[in-house]
Formats: sequence, structure tokens, C-alpha cells
Amino acid sequence: MKYAVEVRGLTKTYKSFRKKFKAVDNLSFNIKEGEIFGLLGPNGAGKTTTINMIIGILKKDGGKIKILGKDFDENKEELKNIMNVASAYHSLTFVLSVYENLKVYAKLYSVKDYKSKIDELLKEFGIEELKHKKISYLSSGEKTRVALCKALLNDPKILLLDECTVGLDPDISEKTRNYIKKYCSDNKITILFTSHYMFEVEELCDRIAFMSKGKIIKLDTAKNIKKMIKKEVIELNLLKDYPKVKEILKEKGLNIISYESNNLIFEINEKHNISEIIADILKNGIKIEDIHIKKPTLSDIFIKISRGER
Amino acid sequence: MNFGRINALLLKYWYITKNRWDRLFDLFYWPLIDLLVWGFATIYIRQLSQVNLLSSILGGIIIWMFVWRSSQDIAVFTLEDFWTRNLFNLFSSPITTSEFISSILIFSLLRSIVTFSFMTGMAFLIYSLNLFSIGVFNIVVFSLALLIIGWALGVFITGIIFKFGERIQVLAWSVVWGLQPFSCVFYPLSSLPSWAQKIAYYNPITHVFENLRAVVFGNPINWYGVLYSFVGGIVLLILALVFLGFSIEKARKNGLLVRGAD
Repeated sequence: MKYAVEVRGLTKTYKSFRKKFKAVDNLSFNIKEGEIFGLLGPNGAGKTTTINMIIGILKKDGGKIKILGKDFDENKEELKNIMNVASAYHSLTFVLSVYENLKVYAKLYSVKDYKSKIDELLKEFGIEELKHKKISYLSSGEKTRVALCKALLNDPKILLLDECTVGLDPDISEKTRNYIKKYCSDNKITILFTSHYMFEVEELCDRIAFMSKGKIIKLDTAKNIKKMIKKEVIELNLLKDYPKVKEILKEKGLNIISYESNNLIFEINEKHNISEIIADILKNGIKIEDIHIKKPTLSDIFIKISRGER
Repeated sequence: MNFGRINALLLKYWYITKNRWDRLFDLFYWPLIDLLVWGFATIYIRQLSQVNLLSSILGGIIIWMFVWRSSQDIAVFTLEDFWTRNLFNLFSSPITTSEFISSILIFSLLRSIVTFSFMTGMAFLIYSLNLFSIGVFNIVVFSLALLIIGWALGVFITGIIFKFGERIQVLAWSVVWGLQPFSCVFYPLSSLPSWAQKIAYYNPITHVFENLRAVVFGNPINWYGVLYSFVGGIVLLILALVFLGFSIEKARKNGLLVRGAD
């Protein structure tokens, strides 16, 4: 099978005066054509280093990268023409206007009808009125949108987005996500996406690789990754204080987290059946006003991984 | 080598020049100030010594500009990408190292020609000095030799910037001026103390200005000296290009291209 991106044994160690830091440690993964693939992990997990090596701005110490079946190192110039990147951490030239910057990059990527492409992208991201404004006068959200325009100038087949929605307000952020989603399905492009916003990754990505200390520790769909946490938290608001409820739950071997002011919080795992538990509680004459079931989120997994729990 | 991409960077440097007053000042203001200060000083000295120094001194200033302009432009336009953290976007594009270097050399040549034209025009208007009276061919040869040496210096400084980051940016402004006392721009080699003569003799810039003075004072050109300047300049440029290529690769390895600054 031909993958859009194949990474094999990718390694990067940073060396300073006396210290060595392994940022990426023998990393391997594949991204299918048309897939949106998310890299998640705490700061220093190696996500950005991985993206930088894939786009060729950072030299790898070891490993192989193939883009659409071609070795990146041997076909760098050709492959960079069909790739692009947007990062929240890197700016375009401050003293140039939005249009001037995009024109320069359009020429760098040999975009033929660059004028209409620039207008189309500016319209799509709702920043047509900024066309002749210098980058230095833009807000961070506006800069991010210009960076996304730059990343889409050459209609890339492989798009690398490194925390590119940082600084966007919720409305623009949602519009941007929708645009990326639509753009990806319309053009069958492959996206490698990193973000600190879990909901964003969950909403956009077909598969997610959780990284920690330069390694992938879990690679799967968001749905399956969430199964890493087997417990669910149940919160019951009772009509009044029912001391018996604690006994019922203890008999079933459930872990009660708290019971205060008629508010009962307990954990269940995959062996328990929530409807049976509720039925038993009701059978004992206990009246429930409200039920909340808190399913594990990607954030829970993220926190778990960040704290070194597995 | 893709000329479209070189053209893209030339366009970018042009936009920077037109959008920034200090880059425009570089082209016209400082050269004009130099021309006025040295021109008026020379007129005064001429009155005292009865020797016509105007062509020698002002000619020196005008063609020295090729060393200064070309070396500084190469370093400063590279620093511009460091300052704006734009190296990431630039080097993640299909641009190759050779295209990047070519564009910056070409742009420094264009800016040098603009400043040279402006200075020769102003020298004519203010002092009635026709620099071309010493021969168009001579001017072209001297300017070209200095341009190559200026490129070598600029490329070398850029290599240092890529190796150590923008903290070393002071070199962009200081290296050329540190070299000037040993380049015999305004005075002959023989007027230097013997220890300084030894340094200046091996400096390829010196031989260009020695020959400029020779032409101004009606003496024959020492073509050996001119050849030494050319060969020296070309050798230095090749070494500087190798060093810059090595530094960019090193920056790619240690992450400086990504960080953009240290």
C-alpha cells in the first residue's frame, strides 16, 4: 500500500555543551492518503520536531521519510513543491503586506495564477480587507489566518499544521476547522496536525498518535484511544440525604469518590452496568433528581500521559 | 537552479527595501553624507596642499561603496529573516541553498549599482567630478573586483550568523569598517607604518585603491595588483560560500533554522 507519509525509525537528538536530549526516539508511523492524522502530546513530546524533520527544515539523525512513496532526502525539491506547512510559532515577513508576503511565497512554490489564488484564500478565511496591511499590524488571530493562506497557496497534497489554530477566537477557529475538513475531503489531501486543543484533534483527526518523550505510546482513532481510560464517573443529585445509598454501592464493589450535600460521585468500570446500578438505587426508594455520566475525554488521556501514567 | 524562486526572493528584498525607510536610507542618505563630509574636507586639504586630491578621495569613497554595500546588504537581508522568525517558512519552501545565496548576491549587486549611480551623479552635481574620466573600463574593473570581495565578506558574515545566530549581528556592521584602515582607500600603502603595510599588502582591496590612485595621478596600472585583487576575491568568495553552505547545514542540524534565533 502506498502511504502519503511513511516515517521509519526517525531519530533526533539535540546536543548542547554537555547534555544530550533525545527529542524523537526511533519513531515510526504511516499516514494514509486523504487522512487527517493528529500528533498529540505534552510540551517536549517531540511533535514539532517530527513535523520539522518531515518538512526538511531540521536534519534527522536517523530514519527514513517517504512522501507518496518517494524518499524525501532524494526528492526534496520536488516533494517540497507538493507540501506546505503552517505553524503558530513562525511568522511571515513583518514589513511586507499580506499580499506581498503571499505573492513571494506563491512564486517560491511556482503557483501560476497566484493573483486569483490569493484572492480566493483571503476570501475563504475572511481577511480580504487585510490584503494590503503589513503583517506587523495584524492581531495574532489574523496572522494565523494569513499563515494558513500561505500553507494552502500551492494546493499541497501533504499539509503540515503545527498548532496553527492558536490565537483564533472560537468562531474563527470553528470556521477554520470546517474549512480544513472540507478542503481535505474535496481535494483528497493528507494532513498532519498537532494541537493542544483536544476537542479540535478529536473533531478533525481520523487517527491520533499520542507522543511522550519522543515516542508514540498510542496510535488509534480518538474513540479507541479514549478506551485507555476504562472508568467512567457517575454523578447523582439525590432529592435528599439517603445514607443507605453508600451501602448499596459498596455492596456492588463500586468506588465512591464523594458524597456531600445530596451529591454522590462514584466510578464504574467496564464490568458494571449503569442501568442496573440505577435500578437498584431506585428500588430502595431513593429518589434521583439528576444524573451526569462523565465519559473519559482525550484531555483525560492527555493529562494521564503528561503525568507519566500509562 | 530555479530562476522563478530566485526572482521570488528578489521581489521580497525589493518589498523590504521599499517598505522600510532605513533600507532606503542605506541606499542614499549615508552615501550622500560621506560624499559631503569627505568632499568638503578634501576641498579644504587641496587649498592647503595645492594637490588635486578630489578624484582620488571621492573616487575612493564611491567605489569603496561596492565593498560596504554588497557585504552589508547580504548580512542585513539575511538578518531580516532572523528578526522576523521567517527562516522556517523560507527554508520549508522548495528554495535551495544555492538559490537563496544567488538571490541575495544579485540583490546586493542591484543595490550597489543604485548607490553607485546616485553617488557618481551627486559627485558630478556638487563637485563637478566626473568619475568616468579615469576610464569606464577601469571603473568597471575596479568596481567588479571590490564587489566580489564585498560578496566574500558578506557571505562569510552570513555564514557566521547561521553558525552562531543573530547574537553575532554586530559583525554585519563592523567587519567592513574594521578592514577599511588596512585597505588604503584614502591613502597610499607606502604611507602606512611598516607593520600595517604588511597586513594591507596581502589585503586584495588595497591593490584596487592603489591602482585607482595610479590612474588618477596618471601613472600606469599595475595589472598584477588588479589580478591579485580578482583572484584573491574569487578565492575568498569560494571559501566563504563553502563556509556558508556548511553553516546552513549545521543550522539545519542543530535547529537554528527552526528557532530562527539563539
